[in-house]
Amino acid sequence: MKRLLLIAFVLAGPVSVAELEGAPSGDEVVANINARDEGEFVTRRLTMRLVDRRGKERERETFGYRRYFGDEKRSVIYYLSPANIKDTGFLTFDYADPAKDDDQWLYLPATRKSRRISSSDRGDSFLGTDLSYDDMKKESKISAEDYTQETVGEAVVDGHHCYILESLPVDEKTAKELGYGKVRGWVDSKIWMVRKSEFWDVRMNPLKTMHVSDIRQVDGIWTVHKMEVKNTKSGHTTIFTFEDVDYKADVPEDVFSERALRRGAPVR
Amino acid sequence: MGLITKCVAIVLVGVSALAVAEEGDRDSWRDRTSFSGTVEAEWGIETTTGDTQKFEIQILPEWNFDLTDNLALTMIGRIRVDAIDDLEPGRPNQGEIAWPSRRWLIGDPLELELREFYVETSVGETYLTLGKQQVVWGQADGLKVLDVVNPQDFREFVLDDFEDSRIPLWTVNAEIPIKALTLQLLWIPDLTYHNIPEFDATYAFESNVPTAPPFIPFAINDFDRPNNPLKDSDVGARLSAFVGGWDLTLNYFYHYDDTPVVRRGFGLTELGFGIVAQPGYERTHLIGGTFSNAFGDLTLRGEVGYSTNKFQATENLLDRDGVVETGELAYVLGFDWFGFSETFVSLQLFQSVLTDDSDGLLRDRVETNLSLNLQRDFMNDSLIAEALWVHNINHSDGFIRPKISYEWRSDTKVWAGFDIFYGSEQGLFGQYDRRDRAVLGIEWSF
Repeated sequence: MKRLLLIAFVLAGPVSVAELEGAPSGDEVVANINARDEGEFVTRRLTMRLVDRRGKERERETFGYRRYFGDEKRSVIYYLSPANIKDTGFLTFDYADPAKDDDQWLYLPATRKSRRISSSDRGDSFLGTDLSYDDMKKESKISAEDYTQETVGEAVVDGHHCYILESLPVDEKTAKELGYGKVRGWVDSKIWMVRKSEFWDVRMNPLKTMHVSDIRQVDGIWTVHKMEVKNTKSGHTTIFTFEDVDYKADVPEDVFSERALRRGAPVR
Repeated sequence: MGLITKCVAIVLVGVSALAVAEEGDRDSWRDRTSFSGTVEAEWGIETTTGDTQKFEIQILPEWNFDLTDNLALTMIGRIRVDAIDDLEPGRPNQGEIAWPSRRWLIGDPLELELREFYVETSVGETYLTLGKQQVVWGQADGLKVLDVVNPQDFREFVLDDFEDSRIPLWTVNAEIPIKALTLQLLWIPDLTYHNIPEFDATYAFESNVPTAPPFIPFAINDFDRPNNPLKDSDVGARLSAFVGGWDLTLNYFYHYDDTPVVRRGFGLTELGFGIVAQPGYERTHLIGGTFSNAFGDLTLRGEVGYSTNKFQATENLLDRDGVVETGELAYVLGFDWFGFSETFVSLQLFQSVLTDDSDGLLRDRVETNLSLNLQRDFMNDSLIAEALWVHNINHSDGFIRPKISYEWRSDTKVWAGFDIFYGSEQGLFGQYDRRDRAVLGIEWSF
């Protein structure tokens, strides 16, 4: 009977909020997403499979750390393969004050120098993937200061009840910076994680879709293990696979330094 | 047995002993080691003659081994073969290179080299890197003020990647955190200097080279090079900090300038009494610093350095030895612009000022270079179009390097480009105006 109800629910598609009682507001949904525990620190492997519209594949294997210093979030990611870009590193200091630009450094083994880079290009592709620098930085959270939010319906995604959250950039400048005119996210109402998203460009043309197909708990923290992002304009797809996620192993503060960045990946 | 040889032997024995200690656990061995590398082939065709300038294959295997949790070994080799053999015709004598750092030349076109070989470990808070390595200072791209710790191989002038043209040195490198600062200390007993192409090489230096008047016999003696690894070693220190959004460093380097000083004198040559040139090396103190910060779409970076005891060639025939001692102040200001999507624009101003303004110097007292680098990524970074333009204001010469590269697969990249020199033959860049070339390359990584 439950299965029949579920099928009926899916077939019926999204239900507008006006028809439902007690749905949280967009701001409440975002507050729940952003209040979710993501651990003080984490280490993880991330494999990015890049597939173009003809099916040609490229793969990058990376290793990364993230740690909170109070409200300030620092993260670093190193390439492990392919060999020609091995030890390329990307370090970010993400400050709690939204008015303060992030500090970012890129270490290129080909030059053996870490280079200070601007954080203003947050809508640019993150190292050739189909997510932007800002998407990667926010991980599975949503920037409340960049968007106005509204809960526009409910649906079931992969068997999980979700609120449909529609996010519009607060102004044109922000829209251009982010590269999005609108984002619609399907947010799991139990664990407050986005299971699916659709993105529109600043001209409101469909831009890309994201599907998170594997969410599991690690050390008691809900964690994305696999997601697929497809750019509907270019036909390019990136499949992100997270492995060896560890929230318990201490991440030394010194890892987030320019001198550590120059030393390259601490793992093979 | 020389000091460097002893150091190498100590490192090798230590490494072997530690490796044996770990031998018991073969699974652990597998987890602790990795082997990777690249194979690169590049074909250069001179555009003025259509002749092949180089057809080179280079293999760079890299082996990493974690001997213990606190001791890691890295070894990088290079096997290089150039079928044309015009960049370094025959077997160069490697006179500028200390023998532990020399390449092993097999026949004319083939060479083997231990590029890097070092262990990394922590002793307390101090991070040590011991062995043959590259140490890179500075913030500038392509134009060097502080990036002088390692000498350079000029077999392709400045066209080769610095990663490949920088000559690694046997070095003790310690990084010591002091609160929010990092102090780096260097001791380099490796007496290796710039590899200058010989006179019959494709990129032999022709401008700013002192010559003898016509019909006067002329000879060049062998390099008079420092030979005591203790007394003649280089030492350096760098203090780095991240303060208020600024990356700052203070640098000091007491070293032999890697560019030879050619003194002239009178003596016996094969053709009788004439002018004899004596190349050698001179000590200098380099003190300087770097800075960088980001402001919205713009990144500002720069470096400045003052060197004492630089020796410049002079045309003044009354000068006793043909060189003038002077100080040199050099700086680079760089502006990187990230305002356009997937696009990188970088402009640099480089200026070098001699403190001595004697008449007859072969170079201008103030030399100014500008560089512009444009790069745009397409197709999720699989296709990259870029162009580098370097222009010397004094001589109106320079070079332009447009290039397009395509990442065909994860492990395979191909590229095509041009290296175009222009300007007066008296200029540093213009002297290679007849060496313009088109390049095609492929790189496979494993």
